[in-house]
Amino acid sequence: MRIRVVTWLVTGMFLLLIFGLLNLEVIHGRAYRDLGNKNCVRLIGQDGSRGRIIDRQGGVIAASKLSYDFMILPQDQPQEEKIISSASRILHKSVKDLKNAFKNNYISSSLPVMLARSISIKEAIALDELKVDLPAIIVQPNPVRHYPYAKLACHILGYVGEIDRWRLTKLEDYGYKTKDIVGFGGVEEKYDYYLRQEEGGTSFEVDHRGKFIRTLGFRPPLNGKDIQLTLDIKIQKIAEDYLSGRKGSVVIMDPYTGEIFAMASAPGFSPSVFAEKNNSAISGLFNNSNSPLMNRAISGAYPPGSVFKLVVAAAALENKKINLNTSFLCQGATLVGRRQFKCWSTHGQQNLLEAITHSCDVFFYKTGLLVGPQVLHDYALKFGFSRTTSFELPYEVPGFIPSPLWRKINKFKNWFDGDTANLSIGQGEVLATPLQIARMTAVFANDGFLVRPYIVKTIDGRDISAYQRKLEKLNLKKATVEHIREGLEKVVNAPTGTASVLSGLAVNIAGKTGTAQAPPGQSHGWFAGFFPLKNPKFVICVFLERGSSGHVACVVTKQIIQEMLNQGLI
Amino acid sequence: MRNSFFIILIIALLICSLGVLSIYSSTYQKEGKPWQTVFQRQILWIIFGLLLFSIVSNMSYRRFWDWTYFLYIAALFFLLLVFLLGTVRLGAQRWLRLGWFNFQPSELAKLAMAIFLARYFSRKSSDDIDLSCSKFGIFSAVILPFFFTALPLSLIIEQPDLGSGVLLLLLFISMLYLTRVRLKYIITLVAGIILPLPFMWHFLRDYQKDRLLVFLNPNIDPLGAGYTVIQSKIAIGSGGLFGKGWLAGTQSQLHFLPEAHTDFIFATFCEEWGFLGGAVLLFLYFLLIRQGFLIAQRTQDSFGKLLAFGITLMLSIQIAINIAMNLGLAPVVGIPLPLMSYGGSSIFITFIALGILANIDKTRAVF
Repeated sequence: MRIRVVTWLVTGMFLLLIFGLLNLEVIHGRAYRDLGNKNCVRLIGQDGSRGRIIDRQGGVIAASKLSYDFMILPQDQPQEEKIISSASRILHKSVKDLKNAFKNNYISSSLPVMLARSISIKEAIALDELKVDLPAIIVQPNPVRHYPYAKLACHILGYVGEIDRWRLTKLEDYGYKTKDIVGFGGVEEKYDYYLRQEEGGTSFEVDHRGKFIRTLGFRPPLNGKDIQLTLDIKIQKIAEDYLSGRKGSVVIMDPYTGEIFAMASAPGFSPSVFAEKNNSAISGLFNNSNSPLMNRAISGAYPPGSVFKLVVAAAALENKKINLNTSFLCQGATLVGRRQFKCWSTHGQQNLLEAITHSCDVFFYKTGLLVGPQVLHDYALKFGFSRTTSFELPYEVPGFIPSPLWRKINKFKNWFDGDTANLSIGQGEVLATPLQIARMTAVFANDGFLVRPYIVKTIDGRDISAYQRKLEKLNLKKATVEHIREGLEKVVNAPTGTASVLSGLAVNIAGKTGTAQAPPGQSHGWFAGFFPLKNPKFVICVFLERGSSGHVACVVTKQIIQEMLNQGLI
Repeated sequence: MRNSFFIILIIALLICSLGVLSIYSSTYQKEGKPWQTVFQRQILWIIFGLLLFSIVSNMSYRRFWDWTYFLYIAALFFLLLVFLLGTVRLGAQRWLRLGWFNFQPSELAKLAMAIFLARYFSRKSSDDIDLSCSKFGIFSAVILPFFFTALPLSLIIEQPDLGSGVLLLLLFISMLYLTRVRLKYIITLVAGIILPLPFMWHFLRDYQKDRLLVFLNPNIDPLGAGYTVIQSKIAIGSGGLFGKGWLAGTQSQLHFLPEAHTDFIFATFCEEWGFLGGAVLLFLYFLLIRQGFLIAQRTQDSFGKLLAFGITLMLSIQIAINIAMNLGLAPVVGIPLPLMSYGGSSIFITFIALGILANIDKTRAVF
């Protein structure tokens, strides 16, 4: 009896052991295998280089430059002293500094210790030669973002930096890891997935002391894909040069396709401070009240002022509220309701063409009142206002067009005729981005098509223009477009036109000025136009934030176009 | 007739050869001459062991009846000698240096105790089939044999070698149980041992306390006392179903696993041979133990019967504690895996014990 109990106990014990073995090896085997690999497999990563960003001619705007890091593998202890003493001679750093760096960066004997970052190529070669005697030296090439044109097109490019927590939580599933370098703002952010490189590296086996045993494998790093922009470096440079010292934005676009030739925003920043992790410069950029990091062409919404009168004119002509012969008397002001609405000058009897030429406010007050606020609102939306242009770069704002219904729902207020008058001259609550204005201007250059602006031409050598181009026919009458275009031509070419300063150039220009009051402070200056007059190749929108008037914008436009002529770009 | 002799021999040889393979695998990466010859020495021990096995199996086990007291006193003497002349290794004084051979007297003490207890409980009925110790009073049934066990036991625990001590105690209790001593005496004894245990805590060495705490939760000290358990579990677990293959285990090859060729040889083996290998090894041990129990049950002579049980239990307790400790199911103690672990003393004693088993089955027919 007792014998049987003991026999069963022993058998049960064996079953227990078998079950324990099964549990450990088969049920939890995978987890333990991972732990085992973690024990003995180490990885030294090597980054590929991030894709380049080039302009339409192939000029490199952002590339990756190799910088060299100097590290040592501390497992062979006696070498460390020798390495530091000879490295201090090559790097011109004191032995004490290097020893401190060694102490601070030491993690474990199997992991390389960083002694100096971004050393020059000469120093790197000199150190690499020491490797024959001191094999613990590691000189690792490390790609760093490099900008040959410094600040050029900074807002379009954006900058690169270490991934932040918010992005990481969103992008973890796509293979992003902590400490990854990702793009912020501009093309770098939008096309990060294409630009980003894939890390390669060497994996090797170590023993319990972390001593190297053998190499397990090497995976070459993959470089990111190059992105070609529709941007023209030369035009971009001209635009930025003449904008410098002011606040504002210049957009130059192909009126038929929406390709962006230049998109400048001032003030700008130098993206290399982010790549070099220059912390004081970076916090300076974030704290600057002029917001140099903002791309004013798409992220800034401003009252468009008189430029908006083109929408009013189109709405009135389309709805047959006025024709070319309709004229209103401008006596410097007009009474809307019980309030005086002023014109910027006294123009006398004005028809549509004259009103556009002189930018007569009274004419447009009256026209706007004839058309009515809802129709004005609808036409503004038709011309692409109050919604984003679906441009590729991030942080585009939609701008705003008020309407009676909106006023009622959101402000619990009624809409008055005075509001219609304000809307008619692009004042009040109207807000538009320079890119929206450029797009609206393009409608009159390309006979009635609303284009979608885009900036990326090819990815990794593959042309994606076909996917980018989207034209929307606005179904405007041919006469409407032609009349307004005639008006735009006169703005420049008539001696009394508001942009007559542009008339002396070798190329015929058409366009509209705008001076948007934005109290308190100086007015915003606008000029939106296209050139050459016949078969326009460029739409230009110059916006000067607090730039006093449209006249100043015209002067800047003239300088830009003159320089483009000088360089033979038109 | 001589069937069991060959069965035991073949199983033991199979286990030994698996052991030699694992010892070779766990040491061949180590540098230095002494490491390269470890497996050769183990083969030497095994050859000596086989010699002992064939001698003992051809020598009537009845002689041990006569030698009992001599063996017991010799075991005590060696244990005392360890105190005076013992070599300190791995923080414990367990070995005696006999020329070029490091002898571990606690191994001898285990076998001596099994023989001693077998004789003690069968003395009154050497030619009687029935064990009459159920008529024993509590003094002669429990207290006296406990005193005789406690002598070597306390010496072993002082070495310190808690594992072998616990093994002796378990052997004593299970043999008491098999001799039909009244159950209530046994329960009294067990209670008498277990109840003061919380007070005994203070007498444990620091490392022993650590090991017990670590057994309860290995992660409290992952780089210190818990390291071995964690590494052993990783080694076994990472083997998976089929193992990593001979000489391909990273845990043992790259020395993450300490004592990979002695106490943790099971982990080394399982890492490279996987669950299938481990199951085969366990099955071999099971067959060996089963053979022992069968022999014990077949034997009519009470001394032989008890001795066979004692030896079989001694082996099975060692196997169970060692493998459970490898699997992280028991605290880490210094008990080798019989026939697998590297070590002369263990191999010799195990082969002698198996030889006695074989002889018991052989001489059974003589009566």
